[in-house]
Amino acid sequence: MIDYGHDLLFGAFITPTNSPPMHAVDMAIAADRAGLDLATFQDHPYQPSFHDTWTLLSYAAARTERIRLSGNVLNLPLRDPAVLARSAASLDLLSGGRFELGIGAGGFWDAIEAMGGRRLTPGQSIEALEEAIRIFRGIWATDATGRLVVDGSFYRVNGAKRGPKPAHDIGVWVGAYKPRILRMTGRAADGWLPSLAYLPGGPRDLTAMNAHIDEGATRAGRDPRSIRRLLNISGQFSATGRGLLVGPPEQWVDQLTGIALEYGISGFIVTADDEATIQLFAEVAAGVRRQVAAERG
Amino acid sequence: MSPTRKVTFGLALTPSATHPEHTIAQAQLGERSGFDLVTLLRAPGQVVDGWTLLSWIAGSTERIGLLGQLACLPSEMPTVTAGAAASLDLLSQGRLTLAITSDEPSDDNQHPVEGVEETLDIIRRMWAIGEPGTVRYTGNVHRVDGAQRGPAPAHDVPLLITGDSPELLRLAGEKSDGWLSEINGSSLDRFIAGSTLIGHTAVANGRDPREVPKIVTIRGTFADTRGGFLHGRSADWVDDLLPLIVDHGVTTLLLATEENAVLQQFAEEVAPRLRDAASSLLPAQTRTGRLRKSTAIAQRRSGIRYDDVPDLLVDSAIEPGDFDFPRVKSTYLRGGSPGLVLRTRTVDEVVAALGFAREHPHLPLSIRSGGHGISGRSTNDGGIVINLSLMNRIDVLDEATRRVRIEPGARWMDVAAALQPYGWALTSGDYGGVGVGGLATAGGIGFLGRGHGLTIDHLRAVDMVLADGSRVRASDTENTELFWAVRGAGANFGIVTAFEFEVDEVGDVGWAQLGLDATDTAEFLEKWGHTSEAAPRDTTSFLIMGPPRHGQPALAQLMAMVDSANPDTIIERLQPFANISPLYSQSVQLMPYAAVMANAQGESNGGQGEPVTRSGLLDHITPEFAAAAARLISSGTVYFFQIRAVGGAISDIDADATAYAHRSANFSVVAFGSHRQRLDAAWEELYPFFTGAYLSFETDPRPERLTDAFPPATLARLREVKARLDPDSVFRDNFPISIPTLTEATS
Ligand SMILES: Cc1cc2nc3c(=O)[nH]c(=O)nc-3n(C[C@H](O)[C@H](O)[C@H](O)COP(=O)(O)OP(=O)(O)OC[C@H]3O[C@@H](n4cnc5c(N)ncnc54)[C@H](O)[C@@H]3O)c2cc1C
Repeated sequence: MIDYGHDLLFGAFITPTNSPPMHAVDMAIAADRAGLDLATFQDHPYQPSFHDTWTLLSYAAARTERIRLSGNVLNLPLRDPAVLARSAASLDLLSGGRFELGIGAGGFWDAIEAMGGRRLTPGQSIEALEEAIRIFRGIWATDATGRLVVDGSFYRVNGAKRGPKPAHDIGVWVGAYKPRILRMTGRAADGWLPSLAYLPGGPRDLTAMNAHIDEGATRAGRDPRSIRRLLNISGQFSATGRGLLVGPPEQWVDQLTGIALEYGISGFIVTADDEATIQLFAEVAAGVRRQVAAERG
Repeated sequence: MSPTRKVTFGLALTPSATHPEHTIAQAQLGERSGFDLVTLLRAPGQVVDGWTLLSWIAGSTERIGLLGQLACLPSEMPTVTAGAAASLDLLSQGRLTLAITSDEPSDDNQHPVEGVEETLDIIRRMWAIGEPGTVRYTGNVHRVDGAQRGPAPAHDVPLLITGDSPELLRLAGEKSDGWLSEINGSSLDRFIAGSTLIGHTAVANGRDPREVPKIVTIRGTFADTRGGFLHGRSADWVDDLLPLIVDHGVTTLLLATEENAVLQQFAEEVAPRLRDAASSLLPAQTRTGRLRKSTAIAQRRSGIRYDDVPDLLVDSAIEPGDFDFPRVKSTYLRGGSPGLVLRTRTVDEVVAALGFAREHPHLPLSIRSGGHGISGRSTNDGGIVINLSLMNRIDVLDEATRRVRIEPGARWMDVAAALQPYGWALTSGDYGGVGVGGLATAGGIGFLGRGHGLTIDHLRAVDMVLADGSRVRASDTENTELFWAVRGAGANFGIVTAFEFEVDEVGDVGWAQLGLDATDTAEFLEKWGHTSEAAPRDTTSFLIMGPPRHGQPALAQLMAMVDSANPDTIIERLQPFANISPLYSQSVQLMPYAAVMANAQGESNGGQGEPVTRSGLLDHITPEFAAAAARLISSGTVYFFQIRAVGGAISDIDADATAYAHRSANFSVVAFGSHRQRLDAAWEELYPFFTGAYLSFETDPRPERLTDAFPPATLARLREVKARLDPDSVFRDNFPISIPTLTEATS
């Protein structure tokens, strides 16, 4: 049992399909109305059937009222970190503090290189991400004195003006799986955003992964609780239960409550490309909130 | 769309770093005040991200055009920029224009002009989804190494160049869709010099200088006394600005202001006067119409008098070099490369398009509604396509009699969705992407068929344009012979511009998908045939089998609709089907008919080659037929084999009541193969069992197929109508029936 002490967040992982062009926006609006906390989109700029995730986030933010938005996760190798930092702050300002920065080190290197991006080894990509996070925070630190200088091996910022100042403390959430990047997440990020589908051992794998994050945080002199743990999930609502996240909403409630209490997960983001799933997940969210609150006492 | 020559007005806003929401509010005010365009100025040292703001503005406005201004930083990849711009254009429904400029030269940015040119080239290539292969590009600044093309924007996004160095001006003249610059009192001469250089470069590159319109940013003050360029009363502003439009080819003025009062005064007093003055002073040919790019003109096909396209159709016509061409050249199942696609929006336009097509009798002519023709060759090579897809209204005429008027370009999923709120449905087929025009002129074999008949059995009247351009209405009381012919052979007689149907009350339906073992394929088919014929009329099922899968048991996919909202009835109806053989998978849902039809979201018409199919109509699945069909399926010659239950209400109609005459059939059989001769040879074995064919599913071009589709009495009657209404065989893209030698050949 671990509890990192965050309030629970529930969100939708929406396919940023561009056909029909409004589908992803409509789903974000549905999630907003249903009372979910987060609308998130994956980011694969080399995928012709997807929207540009940044443009979609900005457009969808304008069309929603209350819900927070995030990339899940943004593709750092195809985005300039200084531009991204300013864009993030701009969107946070416009949306009244509704933006969170889900970011990844990059994965599909052939496709990234085809687009004109730089191919990095996994190790390099982690270093690059850590440099980028320094740039994000530096650009947002409008109260700091002097212009921003980051002299990294992958990104260099030489005396950039800081700003704009975001409306709230934007969370930097890293999509991560292997020990090294998990430790970096503990050292430098505000949140962790893996997908359950990529954990070969299922939720059980979370224990060891959490430990790497905790270790990274502790070594950097940070409180492990300052890193929120989120989880992308997918499943099926059906009348009869058939395993993890396949079954009726009550079963989802029990299973997610278990994961929250057992592994300290405080954010669940469900794959949802239809309104029915969004509605049902909003019901699940209410149930999990109640049960977790009861258990936490 | 290529640039039009009218004057437009935009708003150029300077984003605030602390209160970007003010900028949004100004953009919205601009939209309300009638501005055509909004852009965000890029100030030195600006920290707010313009693209984010512009995307937000797109989300919080409805109509106003969006001009995005990008500085080419070496660190930003043009491939990603292309995707972002395409997305914004798609999300804003075609409101984007993009201006590119170089950033200040620096250590990191040693080739600023090349950076702009490369960005322009790469963006265009990323958007060219009709071109083969991936994008490869090696420049001084950017390198692209096999990126997938797309997404394409919603419209032909103009790519402007900003800047006044000679290199950029030449680039603008050579390649851009416009030049964005700034004018103040002292820079007019520079503007004129730049504009002249662009014009010369354009001409030297074989372009019309009007392909590079001039967009200028202006700034000024309203005051009671005149004090220089754009300082004074509204009338003084008009005096200052009019020469730019009339003498110097400026097409768009962007007003830079932070003050709402200036914005409003300009919108109310300056813009309208400039518009009026310009329209009376500009030469006529620059006031209306559409300027086609020289690169597009170079791709025209021979034999088409492009310059004579009727005025009505000029704006919506699509030629091979046009941006929209890749989206319209092919259909769902067929690749094509027509020479001209005429998109019609009104009956007048249909008449005009048909008249134009008739002036080209030597060229193929295709009529297209939803683009899902199989037999219907609704695209061609080098010919003309009349595309009715924009005529897609669905209107309820009378609730009491459930009379609905539907235009040909509507899709069946949209029809189903429009009828659902009334508790109505109109049987169509199994796929929501199919268009109304092609299906409702041929038959319409659908999931409600056994209970509700064919789609054409619900048809009460049509509005048509005939070969001679006349407009007629056909029904049981007027033009009755035509009305008879339209219901089964409509494509031969004209262009239906509206259908009137009497639709049925249909509540939620049972919708089942069953995966059944078909190891003994013949036995399975026979049993399914019996079960299907024995089922009450509320139950209609379609059976699909694929090619044999190595080492795996043969599987049949059954899709069945039960026209009942009662779960017990649904289960009772499905049980006999589930009992035919071991069940591998099953899904049964109670849902609206419209939800079953909503199965073609986001599809595109990207067909290639020609579909290879055969069709047959069958009274019963006899053991002999089942055995022959099983042999065909296991031969691997067909990749898709489907039998649909018909009969029931379809058979209640007399054979001579409509041109669709094979009313006795209980089954419609269709096979898709990849090889014409092989499929035709294999089909010979099944052929003797059939009483006829459903023309929509038949692609064998041999003339004797006509006698399969139409029994002798029907064919003779159709020939008479054809000879009377279309003696020149204008309509010949879908089972043309006036091949003169055919009667002799087959009788
Ligand atoms: C995936 C798929 C599923 C199908 N399922 C079914 C089904 O379940 N039941 C069924 O009955 N059919 C079905 N069909 C066949 C379909 O009905 C025909 O192909 C039909 O012609 C498609 O109509 P369309 O308007 O989309 O086609 P288009 O390609 O636009 O037109 C096809 C032909 O119809 C004629 N035509 C089109 N519009 C008009 C008009 N306004 N006036 C006169 N003639 C016109 C033209 O000759 C044209 O060549 C299916 C086809 C496909 C591709």
